[in-house]
Amino acid sequence: MNITTQNTGDGILIQVEGRIDTTNYNEFESAVNEVLKDDVKQIYLDCNGLNYISSSGLRIFLTVQKKMMAVGGKLKLFAMQPAIKEIFDISGFSSIFSIYPDMDAAKQG
Amino acid sequence: MEGTPKNKTLIIRNDIDELNRLVMFLEILEEEWNLPPALVPSLNLALEEALSNIIFYAFEKGSENEISIDFSLKGTEMTIILTDGGKPYDPTKKEDPNINLPAEDRPIGGLGVFLIKKIMNEVTYNRVDNKNQMTMVKRWN
Repeated sequence: MNITTQNTGDGILIQVEGRIDTTNYNEFESAVNEVLKDDVKQIYLDCNGLNYISSSGLRIFLTVQKKMMAVGGKLKLFAMQPAIKEIFDISGFSSIFSIYPDMDAAKQG
Repeated sequence: MEGTPKNKTLIIRNDIDELNRLVMFLEILEEEWNLPPALVPSLNLALEEALSNIIFYAFEKGSENEISIDFSLKGTEMTIILTDGGKPYDPTKKEDPNINLPAEDRPIGGLGVFLIKKIMNEVTYNRVDNKNQMTMVKRWN
């Protein structure tokens, strides 16, 4: 897994590549917690390079969503691969996350 | 040739990093058995959910145990049998989460077994010779 973060002016962009599974989800969790520390109001999560996720990863997505909602912030996911979107659909996650086709759409949404 | 089942077994220890061996094993299986590309990630997910439950909860902490994973392919049907000598646990009895709840009310976790049931066509459990045996069947076109 590879995680990069950058400031977009109106929030933070997180790019995650590779797999989020039971063996490495804590790396993703730490990176995200680092971003959340700074009272961020908008997180853009680029899922383009994410090619595998298990329930260990899904629980972090949900945790971040809950935290952002609690502070009136927004978590926006974009560029999700179809196989990952399918897992979000199965889990009922597609209706509780804002998922956009690309960064531009996420910015406007 | 389609009538002859192909069989392969992977044995892992009750260590979560062994899931990385599973990933490699599935890559080899995909190539050797010429499996459809979309199949392996699904099997990987169902297996990870089942195996992580076994690794985290079936055994005494610090004990070393083995879990065997038997793969059998017949035509377009794959049967996977997980066998472990841990505490009796029937994952098929686990209640499905309510996936229609809004984010605020969704509990963190509880999705693993549900994902297995959604991915696989059949999931059954048996306690055989003091061992847990979970059988999962996946069919495709």
